[in-house]
Formats: sequence, structure tokens, C-alpha cells
Amino acid sequence: MKQISGALQRDVAALKKLLPAEDILTFPFAAEGGTAFTVVFSDAVTNKELLGEEVVRPLRLLSGKPSLRAVKERVNFSEVRSEKSLKKLAEEILAGNPVLLWEGAEEGVIVGTKLVFVRAVAEPPTDVTIKGPREGFIEDVKINTSLIRRRFKTGELLLEPVTVGRRSKTIVMVCYLAGTSVEETVKEVKGKLEKIDIDYIPDSSYLTHFLSSRPYSLVKQVGTTEKPDIFCAKLAEGRVGLLVDGSPIALTVPYLLVEDFQSSEDYFVPSYRASFTRLLRLFALLVAIYLPAFYVAAQLFKLQLFPVKLLLTIAGSIRDIPFSPSLEMLLVLLVLEILNEASIRMPKYVGMALSVVGALVLGETAVSAGFVSTPAIIIVAFSGIGLYAVPNLIEQTSILRLSMLLVAGSVGTYGIVLLTGFTLFYLVTAENFGAPLMAPFSPLVKRDLRDSLIKYNLGSLPLRPKTLKSPNKRRLK
Amino acid sequence: MNKLSARQVYFLLACILPVGKLILLPARLADVSKNDLLLPAALHLLLQAGAVFCALLLAKRNMSLFEMLEGTLGHVAACVLQTVFALFLLFAALLPVLEQKLLVQSVFYDTLPTIASFAPFFLFAAYACSKPLASFGRMWDMLAPFSLAGYFGILLLSVGSADLAALAPTGAAGASGFFGGTMSAFAWFYDAALLLPLLGKIDYTRGMAWKGMLFYLAGGAGVLIFLAVFYGIFQETSVNQLYAFTATSKYFSGIATLGRADYLFIIVLTLVMTFSCILPIQGAIECALQAYGRKRWLAIVLSVGASLVFLILVLVLDYRFGEILAALSGVLFWIFPLFCLALPPLLLLFGRNDRARA
Amino acid sequence: MRARKFWKTLPMKLYLLLAAAVCLYFFANDFSLVDIQKTAIILAVGIDKAEGGFSVTAQIAAPKGTERTTGGTSSVEVAAEGGTVSDCISAIFAKTGRVPKLVFCNLIVLGEEAAKEDVIAHLNYFLRNDYMPDSCFLAVCEGSAGELISSQSAIDDASSLAIEKLFSDAAVKAGNVVSNTLKDFAIGYYGVSGSSFLPYIRTEEQEGGGNDSEEGAAASGGGEEAQRVYTATQTALFSKGKMVGLLSAEETLAYSLLEGNVFTGTFSSTDGEKPVTLTVMKNEGGVSLDEKKGEVKLELSLTVRLCCRGVTATVEDIASDSVSPEILQNAEKLLKGYTERLWETCKACGCDLFFLKRTLYRSSKKKFEEEGEGLLAALTPKIEADVFSMK
Repeated sequence: MKQISGALQRDVAALKKLLPAEDILTFPFAAEGGTAFTVVFSDAVTNKELLGEEVVRPLRLLSGKPSLRAVKERVNFSEVRSEKSLKKLAEEILAGNPVLLWEGAEEGVIVGTKLVFVRAVAEPPTDVTIKGPREGFIEDVKINTSLIRRRFKTGELLLEPVTVGRRSKTIVMVCYLAGTSVEETVKEVKGKLEKIDIDYIPDSSYLTHFLSSRPYSLVKQVGTTEKPDIFCAKLAEGRVGLLVDGSPIALTVPYLLVEDFQSSEDYFVPSYRASFTRLLRLFALLVAIYLPAFYVAAQLFKLQLFPVKLLLTIAGSIRDIPFSPSLEMLLVLLVLEILNEASIRMPKYVGMALSVVGALVLGETAVSAGFVSTPAIIIVAFSGIGLYAVPNLIEQTSILRLSMLLVAGSVGTYGIVLLTGFTLFYLVTAENFGAPLMAPFSPLVKRDLRDSLIKYNLGSLPLRPKTLKSPNKRRLK
Repeated sequence: MNKLSARQVYFLLACILPVGKLILLPARLADVSKNDLLLPAALHLLLQAGAVFCALLLAKRNMSLFEMLEGTLGHVAACVLQTVFALFLLFAALLPVLEQKLLVQSVFYDTLPTIASFAPFFLFAAYACSKPLASFGRMWDMLAPFSLAGYFGILLLSVGSADLAALAPTGAAGASGFFGGTMSAFAWFYDAALLLPLLGKIDYTRGMAWKGMLFYLAGGAGVLIFLAVFYGIFQETSVNQLYAFTATSKYFSGIATLGRADYLFIIVLTLVMTFSCILPIQGAIECALQAYGRKRWLAIVLSVGASLVFLILVLVLDYRFGEILAALSGVLFWIFPLFCLALPPLLLLFGRNDRARA
Repeated sequence: MRARKFWKTLPMKLYLLLAAAVCLYFFANDFSLVDIQKTAIILAVGIDKAEGGFSVTAQIAAPKGTERTTGGTSSVEVAAEGGTVSDCISAIFAKTGRVPKLVFCNLIVLGEEAAKEDVIAHLNYFLRNDYMPDSCFLAVCEGSAGELISSQSAIDDASSLAIEKLFSDAAVKAGNVVSNTLKDFAIGYYGVSGSSFLPYIRTEEQEGGGNDSEEGAAASGGGEEAQRVYTATQTALFSKGKMVGLLSAEETLAYSLLEGNVFTGTFSSTDGEKPVTLTVMKNEGGVSLDEKKGEVKLELSLTVRLCCRGVTATVEDIASDSVSPEILQNAEKLLKGYTERLWETCKACGCDLFFLKRTLYRSSKKKFEEEGEGLLAALTPKIEADVFSMK
């Protein structure tokens, strides 16, 4: 590995050779003692004001032949390091940290005057709460770690950076509580991260693929959150968290399916209310997945599922519809998915118009034109609302809803039963990082049921979840 | 996930195995034993409870069925016996699969559908049976509350319509009714045999044999209560109510307004039954794997093969259910007690219980 | 390496293949089954005797289309003849082009002539049909069941809906009508008693009842047809599946009171010379068959608590709401008389309306075998009627 030679011109040239990009700039200057210095930095990601004021200005006053120690002491900045390897110096420049070289220097000095443009810490749009903390993670890993550190004033909180991505060199911060998280899980996480050989990690979601035991599975296997309070609560339960630089979405493992039925607010409201809302979420999700399927299966194969008066109303409303019940439902469901997708991506002012158009098209015009029937729209509307009761599972549940509809339209109610059986079987056999996805229901962990779909009050939850196998079992003394 | 916990075995015995007895068995018993239908069922349950006790005592040895047979009879004989036992389980699976088919065609459709509507069952069976047996344990954890909810839901909606006095006078069907009923019900009672493929995979805990037997009897009591309610509702017309658990709840007064809301419970129980009726197939595959080596590809080939065989059988025997039932409760009834009542105690008495010697 | 990759991705490929197959099946949209658009939803069936077999009239729901207003049920009636009921249903299929589905059939009406034969032969098709709810109401009607089903109801969109209302819980509690279902009728038939009962429906032309709904008329296929109302205060008695007798309205009331079903019913009595209307507020009934010292004894008892309406009363009488002893005595006598007539009718017809044989069989099979056959003729019931004022 090429190292600093001490000849300033040669070293600068070597760095420029490693970093030929136009935005890598050099700033040569001389100290009072006559020593020539050069700062090599990346134009866009270096705080030049700080560099000028706190680095160049004091160094200009340096007299005599400067030593490495003298240069480090003269620089008015806390984050100062030195490095011999040209390659590592080049990496630091790319990260935004300018490198200081001078004639006769045995090492390059790295100054941490990185310029980072970050947005303010704000409430994440995907997880809004009425009661409880409103902070959300942002794209900067340092600020995110500060949000966590603020909540755990203990040396047990360990934040271990792992660099992932051949080109992006993305910092992934592995966070856990020593003595609370399972050591094997930490090792497994780090091992999996180190094995990743990819050039670029744009977001934490890339990592989920590598952390999952069944990467091709439709089922989620890694927990996600945008809120530091939830993240910390999961760490406190014994999970391992991952913060990825450039992503506001933190990951947690092991993941249990029941997590997505829990909201942070559940812990800030009375337990009976929390239990009620959790059950309501489950009910809404089941309605969302099964209602269109059962509606179609009933119309095609088993009319008896309807009460007679409802059946006659439905029969009346679909009489002039040109499609079969299954195609009609598929059509309405697809239109809903399209509207949903479009309204999320559209600019806000267009989105407003689109939702009005969508409502008009679906609610009024389509029915009047005899294109689709009113009951079908009502069913899909119910289903659409229900899906958002558990927002973290939308990607999976909307596919499941469509699959249910397809089997219901092909085989009928028994198809729904079989697909449910298949899904359950698949879910109960899935596990990641030693934790079964469906715990505490399967395998049944009685103790953990207290904070599953039913939530006991805090006093009844003195122990950490058994499923997570934390070595430190007690959290409430 | 390699071992079955005691709890999972209890759930199997109390909540999964009994549901298979709620489809055609009640009408069959009512046909032969009339109002005495509880007596043969109770006798079977007691016999099976004893066999379950023996099978669970065998689990204490922490040896698979094949290891036990091999230790006692040698490798070749063990292979032969194990194969015969696997064939028995496949034979035993025929009735529940056909039952399931008839149930589905009759209860989930308003008009008789084609066989294609039931074909996905075999796809499901092929998938599930290729999975390790121990993974079923987790499914039992999941299905146990479903089974209880479905059973009690149906019972709650049905019990008000039942005239339990219809079960009187006891013994009206006479000895012929009792023995006839006992003979015709053998095909539904082979629960202890289903435990034998699980041997070696059960995490035995103290008192498991007793507790397992009590759980089995609790499930059996559920069956008896259902039989009583069923006969109380349909009385002399019980014989006509082929899919018993789907028929009893429809007389609930709320049904007229809500529609067949009881279908929710029926669907839930059907889900449990779907898993319950593939248990013998899964057991047969497990036996084969124990004898011929545990290889993933072999498990897949066997499960796909078994499912295909059953698909063909269902196609061939589509309209011959009556004859099959007559054969199972007539000339072939002895096969069931041979494997599920005699085998567990025989293994307990003569089977080697020392893995090292085996 | 390539083989490993193949096995690793095989499940995914199989899932895709499966998904493709399901999609193909889904879009093929041909399930060899009958969906809602190809279905004739039968609401009620009328069965009559015809030359050489049966005539079955099915009332089929005719949904109103995509109108904004919902509610209301228009219907069409289609009749067909055949050797068996099954033949007739097939003929209806041929006539309508829609598959007749019985899953919502909540009423079967037997014509008077048809009821005089063993009706199980007519009902066999329904009893053995997996897709037919045996909880549907069963009734006999005066004259032709087809005409009854096809008649224009004055109070409901479809005749079957109006008739079903006669058998509602509220109507049964009034004691004016008894209801029976296909299942219970079959239980009675196949049971040791071999008897059962069915409500007997009569129609009356509604005076001044014009056709004010053109749409309804068009749907029902009638132009100037008179509107009708239905009553089922009489009860047909069945033995061995044949209609053997008819209970009058009073006897039907007595039967309801013995069953303990009546909570809001009324009946007329006298206060000296003046007629009074008595409202049953509470009712308990009992039919007990006891075997003592080898002798079988029957007791028919009913207890009724009444309010008196329709008499001239002082303010004090109204405030106390009590019924005078004379009225109670008269009512007691009246109800006892109704009950005696009821028993005599049943006995004369050989209809074991109270399932006495079944009760004897359940309590003593031996005694049943000895005396079961001639039980009705041998019994002389002790009849008790206790009538009290509600206050």
C-alpha cells in the first residue's frame, strides 16, 4: 500500500492520481516559518469556512519546521487524526474530511470538518403518534446515534460501525445493549454485514435482503422503524439494531410478526385501550385480506354465505354488470392499487385532485355506467381502509389479498382455506436470528402473550420477551 | 424446531385429532347404533386412550419407531415392518381424504363442483408433507385455539336446538347396534398409530403419558358431547346429516337474520381438518424416511408421490364412497386395531428400549 | 454450482408456475359451476298432485337491476309438471335457463290433495338434497299450492315472504298459528310416533285491493290479479305422512297453550252475556305421560295469566287491571273445552300430536313395545286449565 513519502509535491500528485475527479481541490499555503502546506479536500462535502478559520489560519502562524505533533496541536478542531496510507487518506477526502500535507510530513493529518447537509429531526410521516415522542430518525447516522445515546445513558449501549458497500462505503452502526442482547445474534449480524459484497447501499432496505434467512420470501423478516423511541424499546428488549447512514429507517432483529401489530402509542395509553386497538388492527387486517375474496367466493360458489336480503340486493346490483364477479372485483382492486400508488407518488396538489377524480370515477361514474357494482366498491373500500390499520405490512398483505382473491375466484371458499393453511404453515416454519416469526403464538410462549395482541399493564411485564432469549431476563425490579 | 414439545403433543391429542371425527362419523354411528351412538364412540375413545398412553410411554425411550424395531428385529425386518406400517397409514388416510373431499364439495359449493375444485388439496398436501414432522408441532400450536374456537362456536349455536332426551332409552339399539357401531367406527379411531411416527421427536417430560391420555380423553369428551348434541338435533333423521358439524348450527335463531354466520366456525374447523387429514400421509412419509434415510429430495419425492396417488384414488373412487365405507367397516375393519391398538403395547413390552443396544 | 442454483431457485419457479396456473384458471372464468348470474334463486316451492305425478311451482326471486333504490323483492313464478319432484325442478331449469338453487328456499307448501298422500315421497327430494336447508318452513294449503305461491300478496312483494311472516316468532307467540320445519316434520315422521303437524294456509281476497304497483305486477306476471291475504290459524294433522285431520283455530290455540308458547295471544270469552277479549300475558303448558303401577296416565295442563280488554270498565277497574272471577271461570271452562276437543280430534285421526309414543319409548321401551300401538286409543287424559288474572 502506497504511503506518504514526505515530498509534498509527490504526495499531492499521488493523491490527485488516486482522486482524479474535478471536485477534489488542493489549497496550497505557506506557514510563517516557510514550510509549504497543501490541503486536499472534496469541494462539495467539506466545510470550507471551518477549514479556513480553524485549520489554515492557525497553521499559517506556525514557525520553524513543523512536527506532526505540532501540526495536530495547532489545528483548532477536536477531530484530528493522522494516517500514512495514501489510499486511506483518499477515502477520508471522499468522506468530506480534508487532508493536510506539508513538506517533510511523515503522515497526513485528517481534519474532521466534514460538511453534512441534514434535514431537521421531525416526526416521521409513516408513524404518527398522538401521545408519546415525536422524533424521527433522519438520514445522518451521527444524528441518529445521538438520538439513541440520549435515551440510553449507559456504557452498555454499544454502537459498532461496520462499513458496507465497495464504493458507497456506507456506515452501518450495529447498536445493542451489552449483556441484554444475545451475543450470537450480534455476531451473526456482524458476520452477515461483513459478507455483503455490493458496491452501493442506498438505503437500509438493501440490507434486509442480506439479513433474511429466506431472502426470496414475501414475508418480512427484519423489523423496521423510523422512531428512536421504538428503536430503543426494541434494544431494551434484547434486540440488535442497525442504523444505516443515508437512511431514516432503522432495522431491528430478530423480528416477530406481532411487532407490526404493536404501536409505540400502545405503551403510552391504558392497557385495555392498547389491547382493544391491537385486536382491532388484527380484525381490520383480516377484513382487508379476506373480505374481497369471500365476497367473490360467495357469489361464484356459495350464495348461502350471504343473508337472503343482502343476496337479493347484490343480485340486483350486479345484474347488468358486464364482468363476472371475480373479474369485477379484480378490476376494482387493481384500480384502487393504482390510485393508491399514484396518489403517494404524485405531488401534493395533484394528489388532491387525483383523489377527487378517483372517488368520482369509482364512486359515481363507474356505477352509473354499469361498469362495476356498488357492493364491489364498498367491499374494496372496506378492504382498502383495513389494510392501512397495519401500515408496516402493506407490501405483504396487499399481495396476500390479491392472491386470496385469485384463489377465491378460481376454487372458491376452499381455496381460501387452503391458501390460509399454506400461509400459516409457511409463517410458523419461518425463523430468523433464532426467533420464530410467529412467536409467541407458534411456538406458544405463554409469558410473551402478555404483550402480543393483548397487552398487560407495565407492572405485569417484569421480564423481557422469552422468545428473544436475552441473557438479562428481568427489566422491572 | 427439531423436537415436539409436550404441549404440542397435548394440543394434537386434544384439539387436532378429534375434529376428524365430526364429519361422517356421527351419521355413520347414528345409522348403525341409533340413539346409542355414544356407546361405541366412548368404547373407541377409551381403547385409544390406553393406546395413546402406551405410545407416549414409548416416547420416553427417545428412540424412533424404526430404531425400536431395528433393535428388536434387525435391520431388514425393521425396514419391512416400517414399510408395512407406512402403508397402513396411507390406507388409513384414504377415509379422511375422501371425507374431506365430500365435505368440501357439499359444504363449500351450492352445486356439485368438478374434482378440480378439490385438486389444490393435493398440492397443499405435497407441500406440507415434504416439511419435517416436527414443524407440524408449531402448526398445532397455531391450530389449537382455532379448533377450540370453531368447536365451541358451533356447539354454542347448536346446543339450544338439541333435545338430549332423544338419546334415551339407552341400549335401545341392542348388542347388534353397539357392536355394529363399534365395528363401523374403527376406521376413524387410529389416533395412537399417528403418534408412533413421532417417536424420537417428542421432548418427553415427566408424566407426559398420563397427561397425554387425559388430554386425549378431554378431546374425546368433546366428540361425545358433539355426538349427543348432533343426535339431539336430528334424532331419527341423523343418518341423513352426512357432514355433521356443518349441519347442527344452522337452526340457531340469529342465522335467519345474519345469514350463515356459523360458516365462520365451519371454515375454521375445516382449516384444522385439512391439517388433521394429512397427518397419516405425513406419518407414512416420516416412517419411510426413518427406514430409508432422511434426505430432503426423498421427502419431496415421497410427498409428491403420495399426493399424486391420493389424487388418482380420489378420481377413481369418486362415486364409490359407500362401497369404501362398507369395506372399511366390514371386511377390513381389523386392520385398524392391529396397528393402533396392538402395536403400541407390543412395542412397549417387547421393543428394545436401549439405544446403544439398538 | 449451476445445479445448486437451480435447486435453490426451484421453489420460486414452482410458485410462479402455480401463480400462473391460478391466474389462467381465474381468467378462464369457466368453473363448471353456477355463479350468481346464472342462478335462479328459489324462494318458495309449491307442490301439487297432477295427472301422472306432480306439479311444482317455484317462486324465483327477480332482482330489480341497478336502480338506486334498494329493498323490495320482485319475483316470478314458474310451474312445471313431472313424474317426480326432481323431474319438475329439472323442467323449471329447462324453462328458465337458470340453474334453480334451493339454498334460499325457506318455504315449501303442499297442496291439499298432495298432502293426502304420504308426503315424504314428495319431500324426499328436498330432504336428501345437500344444498337445501331443512330449516325451511313447511305448510299445507287449501286447494292448490301453485295457486297460493303464484297469488299476489296484499302486504308483501312476494307471496312467500308474506306467508313466512305468518310463521314468525311473534305470530307463534300469539298462539294463532303453529309452525313446523322440514327437519322437524321428518323427525316426527321417522320417529316412533309417526306423526306430525303442519300449518294450514287459507287465502282471502283483499277487498278493494287494487294493483297499485305496476312494477310489482309486471314482475309477478299478473295484470289485474286480485291481491290476497293469508291465514294459517288451522293446523293439519299428519299420521304416517298423510294428512288425517284438521285442527280448528281454537284447537290450534289450545295446542299452543299446552306447548307453553303463547305470550301475547288473544281469545274471546264471555262476561255473562257480553263478549270479552282476553289477552294471554303469560302461559305455561305441560303434557306429562307417567307410568305408575303398570298403568300409563296422561295429563294435559295449561296455566294462563290474562288481561281483559274490550269490556266496559270503571276507572278503578282500569287502574287495577284485574280480571273478574266470572270472566276467569268462563275462560277456564272455554280453554278446557278447547283442549278436550283438541284431544278428541287427535285421537279420532290417530295423530300422535304430543309425541306420546315417543315419550313412552324413551321412558320405557318395554312398555312401549307392549302398549305403544294402541296408546292413543287407550288413554284418557286428565285435562287441567288454570286461568289467573295478570294482576
